[in-house]
Amino acid sequence: MTSIKLKAFAVYAVLFISLFGFATSSMAEKVFAEHKVVLQISDPNPFKQKLVLNVAHNILKYYGPDLVDVEIVAFGPGLRLLFKNNVYKTRIQSLVDSGVRFSACSNTIKNMTKKLGHAPALNPNAVRVDAGVVRILKLTKEGYTLIKP
Amino acid sequence: MKTNHKLILALTCAAGLLASSGEALAINWLKMQGTEPPGTSGRARVWGFIQPEYQQTDGTKLQAGPWKGQNAAFNMSRPDLKSDSGFNLIRARIGVRGTGFPLDSDVNYFFLAEFGNNGITHQGGGSVKLTDASVTLNEIKGARIRVGTFKTPGSEEALMAIHVFNYVNFSNGTNQLLLERYFNGDGSSAKTSLASINKPNGPVSAFRDTGIQVFDWFTIGNWEHTYALMVGNGNGITRNDNDGNREVYAYWASELLFTGATPFPSGSHLAPPSWSADHQGPRGVRYQSLKLYGWYQGGKRTLTTAGDGAGVYDRTRQGVGFTLLRGKVRAGAEYFVAKGMIFNGTDGGAVAGSHNNAKTAFADFNVTTNGEANSWYLDFGYLIHPKLELDIRYDTLNRDTNISKAERKFDTLTLGAQYFFNKKSRLIVNYEMRNASAPNLPGSAAPNKILDGMDNRVSAQLLIIF
Repeated sequence: MTSIKLKAFAVYAVLFISLFGFATSSMAEKVFAEHKVVLQISDPNPFKQKLVLNVAHNILKYYGPDLVDVEIVAFGPGLRLLFKNNVYKTRIQSLVDSGVRFSACSNTIKNMTKKLGHAPALNPNAVRVDAGVVRILKLTKEGYTLIKP
Repeated sequence: MKTNHKLILALTCAAGLLASSGEALAINWLKMQGTEPPGTSGRARVWGFIQPEYQQTDGTKLQAGPWKGQNAAFNMSRPDLKSDSGFNLIRARIGVRGTGFPLDSDVNYFFLAEFGNNGITHQGGGSVKLTDASVTLNEIKGARIRVGTFKTPGSEEALMAIHVFNYVNFSNGTNQLLLERYFNGDGSSAKTSLASINKPNGPVSAFRDTGIQVFDWFTIGNWEHTYALMVGNGNGITRNDNDGNREVYAYWASELLFTGATPFPSGSHLAPPSWSADHQGPRGVRYQSLKLYGWYQGGKRTLTTAGDGAGVYDRTRQGVGFTLLRGKVRAGAEYFVAKGMIFNGTDGGAVAGSHNNAKTAFADFNVTTNGEANSWYLDFGYLIHPKLELDIRYDTLNRDTNISKAERKFDTLTLGAQYFFNKKSRLIVNYEMRNASAPNLPGSAAPNKILDGMDNRVSAQLLIIF
């Protein structure tokens, strides 16, 4: 009996750890979210920066921060949104506080580094991903709806 | 996952329409004109504005003096002074601004040209003048550097963007003491030939100079503090330096930002000139605040016409003031003093170049080289409707207070209304009740008789920003 109990406990522990591990690996995602949205910002038009932030804000406002999961993926010229000194940094922080995630394309960062001669200073809330487009494809495969304002 | 695509699309559209939730940016003139929003500004953004206007006086002629019966310069329409009424395209400007290399927000530029008919284009030949061309380096925290030709730090009336100015005409003090005219002589000698009259040697200053400025702003709590130090040629626009003397400018402003208050609506109808394109939210060019400021400008001017005041003279200006924008109320006041070179109008109040009745001399412009003057204004605006603001301004100028017989006093009460068609267009209608006198001379003296003929003025100006 003791052996069976130990085995059951071990299985339970493994399952728990696996689940916990999974949860921590994606803890930024909202477990109770009923809607998942990925917003793309890749346009050089400065107005698009404001627009994508407004869209994120409005989605959060409508559904409530806990019931919608929003990630903004920036690549190409749109990466400027995630520059450290971007004028919208306070709005970005506000959205981050509401659970919005910001992903920065590493390929774009590399290209910009070549042009600038140094890596661009990024907003500390930006999470580097291998490629912005790949990140979007991955998220859409996971059920996220892609919006490109 | 029941994501409602239509709903999200609608939210996206709403976000576009409500692109007004802009940053709580502390906006000030030095920031707006000299920098670009970091991380968002484009390579080149074209913008501009057009201001057609109509002005009219009764056209009262000169009541006394050698030019009695001829046109009074102060009753004629600017800048041609050939009629007492008429339409004029006073300003038509187009410019480009941006960062050049968008990945680097630390360097930006500003370029603006004037096509209208005014003191900038009227003098010095040509119909188009470059008013602004500058580069700003934002590399050093706390010390941004702007180099080129641009508006100098100074009076609120002078420093603010002209297309969001609340009246058609400047106050007397701003017009006569700050909007500098440049001459080669002081006009003290009688001119017997038209070719020899003392007249401006080029465009008015347009409150601008060519030089280098160090500036920045700091936010402490709800206060935003701004400073600027500048060294320039002291020779306005379209000119190099002419005498080796440098003009020094200093400016400080402390602005209390009223947090939680709704932005002042009327200003939001006009897109600001710089950060505007990306931030034309409800804060617009004006936002709720109380600003206290002080400024100084000092330098020398060199006159070169032999027998007409040739020499080097001081020119200093300094002032303090405040602006208040809260709720439906807009208010402001400023006091400033001047020493040294002071624009002194024309001989007998006549239009420069007019032959006197005795045909012995031509009227020319005069400058007091060692004068003193002071000026102040009170300005109040009230928004009675989301699209309509009523304005009232009282301003006074005491010119040449240190020269008894030459002292002149000007005061004007301006009643105005601004109707905002939308964020980019506005109509101003003004009625100016103008008075002037020579306070140390008897009422029967010629200068007082001439100044008694100063008419009230009605004006209307349309604005569109693109």
